[in-house]
Order: sequence, then C-alpha cells, then structure tokens
Amino acid sequence: MNMHLRSRKALGIAVASALAVTMSGCGGDDTGRSGDAAEGAPSPGITDDSITLGITTPLSGATAGPGTCTVAGVTAYFGAKNAAGGVEFGDGKTRTVEIEALDDTYDPQKAKANYDQLKDDVFAMTAGLGTPTNRAWRDAAIADEVPQVLVMTGDPLFSDTAESPWQLGFVPTYLNEGEAFGELLASSSGDHKVAILSQNDDYGEGYVEGFKSAIEGADNIEVVDELTYEATDTSVDAQLTELAASGADVFFNAMSVTPLMISSLQKAQSLGWTPSWFLPSNTSSPGAILEPGGAAAYPGIFSVAFSKAPASPAFAQDPDVVEYLAALKQYGNYPDPPAFPHCQWSWMVGATLEQAFQNMEEPTRDSFMEALRSIEDFEAPLMLPDTAVNTTEEGQPAVSTVVVQKYNGRGYDTVQAFE
Amino acid sequence: MGKFVQLVVDGLSTGSVYGAIALAIVLVNQATGLINFAQGGMAVLSTYVAWWLTTHDVPLILAILVSILFSLALGAVVERWLMRRFERGDPDTAVVVTIGLLTLITGICGWLFTYNNQQFPSLFSLDTVSFLGVSISIRSIGTTVVIVVAMLLLQGLFVGTKLGLALRAVAINPQSAAFSGLPVGRLLMVGWGLAAALGAVAGALVAPQLTLTPGMLDSTLVYALAAVILGGLTSPIGVVVAAWIIGILENLAAVYVPFIGFDLKVAVPFILIFVVLIVRPQGLFGRKVVVRV
Amino acid sequence: MATPSTSTASSVWQRPWVRWAGPLLLVVVLAVMPLVLSEFANQTIARIGVYAVAVLGLNVVMGYTGQVSLGQIFFLGFGAYVTAYGVSNDWNIVLVFALACLAPAVAGLLVALAAARLGGLAIAMVTVALPIVGVPLAKRLSDFTGGSQGMSARFAEAPEGSGLYDDQWQLYIVLIIAGVVFLLTRNLVRGKYGRAFAIVKGNENVASSMGISPYRYKVLAFTIASLIGGVSGFLYMLVIQYTSPETMTFGHSISLLAAMVIGGAGSIVGSILGGAYYVLVPQLTNEVDPSLTALLQGALLLAVLFVLPGGLVSLPRALTRGRRPRAGRGSAAPPTTPSSTTGSGTAAEEPETERQGHA
Repeated sequence: MNMHLRSRKALGIAVASALAVTMSGCGGDDTGRSGDAAEGAPSPGITDDSITLGITTPLSGATAGPGTCTVAGVTAYFGAKNAAGGVEFGDGKTRTVEIEALDDTYDPQKAKANYDQLKDDVFAMTAGLGTPTNRAWRDAAIADEVPQVLVMTGDPLFSDTAESPWQLGFVPTYLNEGEAFGELLASSSGDHKVAILSQNDDYGEGYVEGFKSAIEGADNIEVVDELTYEATDTSVDAQLTELAASGADVFFNAMSVTPLMISSLQKAQSLGWTPSWFLPSNTSSPGAILEPGGAAAYPGIFSVAFSKAPASPAFAQDPDVVEYLAALKQYGNYPDPPAFPHCQWSWMVGATLEQAFQNMEEPTRDSFMEALRSIEDFEAPLMLPDTAVNTTEEGQPAVSTVVVQKYNGRGYDTVQAFE
Repeated sequence: MGKFVQLVVDGLSTGSVYGAIALAIVLVNQATGLINFAQGGMAVLSTYVAWWLTTHDVPLILAILVSILFSLALGAVVERWLMRRFERGDPDTAVVVTIGLLTLITGICGWLFTYNNQQFPSLFSLDTVSFLGVSISIRSIGTTVVIVVAMLLLQGLFVGTKLGLALRAVAINPQSAAFSGLPVGRLLMVGWGLAAALGAVAGALVAPQLTLTPGMLDSTLVYALAAVILGGLTSPIGVVVAAWIIGILENLAAVYVPFIGFDLKVAVPFILIFVVLIVRPQGLFGRKVVVRV
Repeated sequence: MATPSTSTASSVWQRPWVRWAGPLLLVVVLAVMPLVLSEFANQTIARIGVYAVAVLGLNVVMGYTGQVSLGQIFFLGFGAYVTAYGVSNDWNIVLVFALACLAPAVAGLLVALAAARLGGLAIAMVTVALPIVGVPLAKRLSDFTGGSQGMSARFAEAPEGSGLYDDQWQLYIVLIIAGVVFLLTRNLVRGKYGRAFAIVKGNENVASSMGISPYRYKVLAFTIASLIGGVSGFLYMLVIQYTSPETMTFGHSISLLAAMVIGGAGSIVGSILGGAYYVLVPQLTNEVDPSLTALLQGALLLAVLFVLPGGLVSLPRALTRGRRPRAGRGSAAPPTTPSSTTGSGTAAEEPETERQGHA
C-alpha cells in the first residue's frame, strides 16, 4: 500500500468518523417501537388467562441477600394466589400471575439490558432493588410507556409523578425515615447532642437530609459530629472512635450493611460510649443484628418500621405472619427464615399489585397505572397498625407512613415519644 | 492522644485481616509464581464447610480442623486438575483462570448456602480489655497473634526447611528443579494446599466479625494484593508488616487528613505503594530479582 | 499479509477483488443488519460494540505491549461521565466526543508517565488504584457527576426524517465509531508501532538495546488504551444513557480482563469476541437460571479457557491443528494478527521473572 492510498484512506476514515459523531448528536422525536401500540389494544404480557410481571434485581454479588428477597416475597404471594385459582381482575377475567426475574448483579448496565429483554414480554416491571439499577432504565421505561412500579428504592425521584409518570416507589423514601426520627427527637423534652454516621451514597444522604430537616429549628437538638463510611468498608472502628469522643448522647446510624452494624454496636460499647441509637428499618433485626451486637448495653435502640418482623415473638401466632412464612417456603423458593425485611416488603408489593389488578378495568398498562394510583388506606398483610399503603399522595411512594419503634429486649414496641 | 493510639490499635486489627489473605497469596506466588485471585474465595468456601459443621453441633475447633483438611485437599485438587494446564503458558491467562475460579466458587457458595449473612462463632471471647485508656478486643489480639505465628512459620518454612527451598526452586525454575530430581507436580500441589489451608484459618478468624457471605473476602482481596506488592512478593514478614502499615495509615489518614477523609482513605495503600516502589522497586522487604538477557 | 504459498488455492486469496470482497460483504451486512434485526438484538449488538472497544483498548496496552492494566474500566467510566456532563450542559456533540476521547487520554498519559518507569508491578498497582479510587471520587465530585445517584443523558435519538428507530440509529453510530477505532488500531498494531510494542512485551532489555525505549512505548500504549477507553465511554453513554459510580467498579475491570483473555489477547478479532463474551454470557446465564449466574459464568469461563487457552480467537487454529499432522506451526495458522502464541512462548520460559524482573 503506497503512501497516497494510505493518506486517502486516513482521510476517508476521518470523514466517516466526523459524520458518525455529528449524527449521534442529532436530536429528534422519540420513535420507540414499544410505543407504537394502538390506543386501547391490550398491552404485552397479558392474555385472558395470565399476566406476566418482570423483575430485574441483584441475585448474585454483595446485595444478593436483599435482592433474592425482593423476588421471593412477590413470587410467594402470587404462587399462593395462583394455587387458589388466580386473581380476579377488574375486567372480569381471572388470571394467574407469572413472575420473570433476571439477575443484574447491581450493575446499571445489566439492569438496562434486562429491561430491554423483558419489556416486550411482560406487562409491568416491579420490585427491583437499588437506586442506580432502577435509574438506569427509568428514562427508557418512560419513553416506552412500561410501568416501573413498587420498586425497592427510597429515591424520591420515582414517586414524583410529573418527572416519573410510569414509576412509583414502594418503600418510604430515605427522607421519610430520617424525618420520622427527627420529629421524635425534636419533640422530646431534654437537650440532646447527636452524632451521625451515614453511608456515603444516596441512601445515607437521604436519611441525613430527612433527619436534619425535621430537627431544624429545634433548640434542644445539636448535631455535634457527622461522618461517613463506604458500603465496601471492612470496618468502621475509626469512625466510631472519633464519634465516641464527641460526647453525643444520641447516635444516628444510617447504615445498611449488616456486619458493620453489628460491629458498630460492639465497638461503641467497648469504647465506653452508650448513647441511644437510631437504626434504619433494614438493619434493625433483633435476631440478626441486635443480639450479636450486644444491644442490651444501650439505654434505647429505636428504629422505624412499617412491617411486622416475623421473627419477633409478639407476632409468632399472627395469622398474616404464619400464612406468609408458609407461602415463602412453598412458593417462594426460600426455605430459610427471612433474613432481610425485603422479603416482607416484596410480599406487600404482591398484595398491593393485587389491589391494582382488582380495580383495573382494561387489560392495558394505562388502566393499570390508573388503578395503581388510586389505592387509599390499604392495610396490606404484614403491615403494622397505623401504617397503610396510600398511592394517591403526590410525591410520596406507596408506603410513606412509618412508625418509630423501641427495642424491648426481644422485639420492638411502637412508641410515640423519645423518653 | 488516646484517639491516636486507638486508631493505631484498630488499624493493626484490620491490617491483620488483610495480612492473613496476603500470606496465602505470597505462599502461592512463592510456590507457583502466580497471583491467585481466588485465594479469598477458597478461604470462604472452607469457612462455609466449618460453619456447616457447627450448625450440625460439631465443636468449633474440630470444625475448623476439618475445614483445614478440606482446604488442603481443595488446594491440591485445584492445582492438579485446573491450574496445571495453565502454569506453563501465558501468565495473564493463568490469572484469568483464577478469576474464573473465584466466580465459580462464589457461585457455589451462594447456591449451597445462600447469600444471607451467616453468623460464625468466634474462637475468642467478645470481651474487650482496656489498656492505658485504649480498648482492645480480645478477638483482635487473638487474630493478630495467630497471624504472627502463621507468618513466622511461613518465613521459617521458606528460609529454613528443605520443603520451602524445594517450593521456591520449583517456582523459580521448574525445569532445573525437575532435573535435580524434585517431584515438581507434588510440590506444586503441596504449595497450593498449604496456601488454601492458610486461607481457611484466615477465614475462620475473620468470619465472626465480617459475617459469613460468599463475597466476604472480596474487599479484603484488594488490600491483600496491595500488602503483597508493598511488602514484596517474596517475604511473609514483609507482607504482614505491610498489611499492618496499610491498616494503620488508612485510619490515621482518614481522621487527620481532612482532604482524604473516610471516603478516599482507600487511596492510602496505593499512594504508599507508589512512593515505596519509586525508592525500592522490589517492595519493602522483597529481594531484587535479576534477569539475565 | 497471507503467507506466500505455491498452492493455487492460496493465490486465489491474493487476487484483489477477492481480498476486497470479504470486507465489502461485511460492510453490506453491517449496513443492512440493524434494519432487519429486532430491537433487542440491535441493543445487544450495540452493547457488544461498546465493550469490544473497551477490550480493544485493554488489548493495546496488555495484549500487545504486555503491561498489566487492571484499570481500563476507569477510562470507560471517565469517558462516560465526560459525555454525560457535556450532554447535560448542551455542548456541541462533536466537542463532547473529542473531550470524551481526550480527557481520559490525558489522564492515562499522566498515570503512565509516572508509573511506566517503575516497572510492571507498579503499573499493575496503579491501574488497580484507578477504579478503586475512582468510585469514591465520582461520589465526592457530585457537582460534576451527579454523585451516587448517577447521571442520565438521553441523546442520539433518531432524527425525524430518517425513518429509523432509536435502537437502529444508535447501532449505526456504534458500528461506525467502533469500526473506525478498530481500523485505526489495526493499522497501528500492524505497523512499526505494533512491532515496537511486541518487542517491548517480549523483552525490555532487548528492546532498549535495539534503540526502542520501553518507557516511551509503554507510555504510548497506555495513552492509546486510555483514549480508546474514553471512546468506549462515549459509546456507553450513547447506548445505556445512564452512568453512575457503579459503571467503573474494580469488579468490572476484572471482568474486562477476563473478557480480553477469553476473546484472545493481542488480537483484533479477539477484542470483538471478548466484547461479545462480556455482554452475552450474563444474558445467557440469566436464561438458564437467574439465581445461579455466578456459578454458571465461572464454570463457563473455566471451560472455555480449558479447551482454548489462547482464547476464542484461537478456535480456527485449534481446529486446523487438530486436523493436520504436525507439519510445522507456520503453515497451519495464517499469521494475520500478532499472535498470542509468540507472547506465551516467551512467557513460558520466564513466567515469574517477567513480572518481577522489571526493576
């Protein structure tokens, strides 16, 4: 190849690449194929006998524990319903509910790939775990008009109807939970100094933001120290050492990693620091966390909750709980006792979806979203008294009410005041 | 001052965790010249074996001993039937095989034992002692002591015994070693088996604190690799000391260097490595390797 | 290119129109393919393109030049973030592309300038540091990166008049940009630079005695790898339209490395196969059993390497070697790529000192 040919080839390459790059920037109206369906035509994933739901969630990797729960609960719920004959829909037909779940290993790219794969075969996507994984395909779901509902993330974006018309979060936003603590503390009588440790991501940031907004203006509450940690850390001893030196009498620990929570409980008391603790709902299990952590050493351990803890002795005979545990084993492919609250939450997602199905007048995604958004004061099975599913509140997820609970040595009691 | 000492003590404890895996990596490297990415995974599998036994009412010490035997066999089998094919070839391929092994072992653990956090009973009591205003947990002391013993044993093995010499000979020049009559295949299996056994001990020591999950040692692996490179691929003492230094400096940098803070403290080991390797390319304690062209 | 041979069969391949027919056919297939395939197939192929480019970059520095890099995903992430930031601020798309190439390249250059003198081990550890420090850094610089919630950027929607769907449009762009990058890289590694890289990979002392500065070529290789990584980041944003700190975790870096070796180190075609492996295997294992993806992926990786230690690209070679008697390696394998066998040949002689001896 002589020089002449080579330089012409190079020129050709340069022109082609410039063209390609410029083309990539040309905007235009969205002509997604999924949106081509005619008005009123049945949506994909639904027939006269069955409806299929899709889930993309981590089933391997660091977050596989809660991820597996997000599939198990809803699969168990509908497994039991299918065995009893199916769900009666608002259009008069009775259908079985099938679940198709795919593993995304908490990688946003894989989550989007899973969505691309599922969207033409399923009626709606639901129950997936994680903020980045759900955000990755949120825009695509809006463009394709595919419901992305009752997802397991406390990110407020999913509950903003204007921004996310096809989405709805299920669990309370991180802000809601932080606020609940803040309000409890702000309304208490004494002066309190608060130390904060939070996970360095939207989870921790949301908690802290909610907490701080609730204590704003309260003269008796002072935040004396505030530190972060990474979800991948093997130890938070250094942070606790510093926080212990702050002299705080309340410790707000927005932590979602089980072993780190246990070691925090152990470390603080070994340093001679025994404040009252605020724990998030997903890392407050008495059996898995408080007992190994030696929680008895502390004057008060508080958490927020909206679901009954099946391991708690108070609920051992509760009919909801008994039914749930049996179904989880039989239909949910989950033989062990639930290790994360996401199992309960996913069960509630199933119940909430059933409500929407029962009110859905046409077998279309539009009708489904309408029905889903009109659920008021639904006490889903396993919900604690004073909490309910309410999807009609603008800007709020399906569950926005939480109660504050205090550890009583074996389980939790709902409390109204800090003291 | 109290805070400083506490941070140092805590750093030593965390560093011991890194050092445990680093020792196993060094052993495999000394024996076969490979970096075994699956070292942590093999340790976790052995720890699951021990855990499973404890859930069937086997006493803890016995369970750990059985898991050590299991890991000896596991290491030898992996070397003989998997790694043997790749040891003579492209080193990058061999490393990727260990990566595949890690994925497979993690998947097996997840399948057999689920991804939930399992409680592993602690060899040492959970009490803490207070010493000059600093609180140290008995478990940390115990872990550190065991690591130090393992380190000394390993150092003694490499430097003082015929087996250690044979292992190193096989790694440096397998052909000459074979010509000198050393049973190369068997020595390789021994090397991998011992490394796996070390990993099993390490896993049993750290599982009570980290809770047992298939990915328990994934974050530790990177720190262990950093310790291995900082300390020198040829020195057990070096890697443990390096691991301690990493643990301590990480904590101190997070607290006393606000720019770094707790989120970027993970950069500390790498800055360290960079600085040290400029001055001593073979690591803090390693020996210089001379290549003849 | 093709080995001169006396048999008439080979001379057919040397006729100009036959030589051009192959690539031409390929171009025609690629041009028609997006119009014919389903949306999901197009999206999958586009993703394969993204990661094939990323693996290509890794191959330049690792497969061809023999320097361990465990940080390629950092440059992909960097390119993706630059693209997301530029698009969110409505910058001209050509400018965004140029920045997505240049910023990671500059970063790679700086890293290589510092680390290349220190020898193979230092480069390895510095590259490990890139994704590990990159993730918390991406979270901290939340004004630019959107923090842990990430950034969405939808661009590359098909223009109204073209009648194309978005996925087809995006696939065309990926094919064009990836095609250009592959062509340029292919020319690079077949030319004098490629030969220099191979010598540096083989034995640095020999290289310097021949007047080829290992330092300069390592820096060059690393910078090119980072640039290509940046391109793959731009394509990532184009196809996925969202990036977050999870885009560039250390785990993905290791997966890229595995994909490179599985595809075939030091091979252009191998990079494409590696990208295909990276994208298709998770989807495949999900089809089999979503709860067992790790187990299946590990088993598959081991199985492939067991049968084909040279990677998927060595399959034709392995098949022909199986059929012909061992009449010399040269005639069986058309040496179209700087083959990995050369590398493994030298590596086999000094496996450990290769890594440690660059003091």
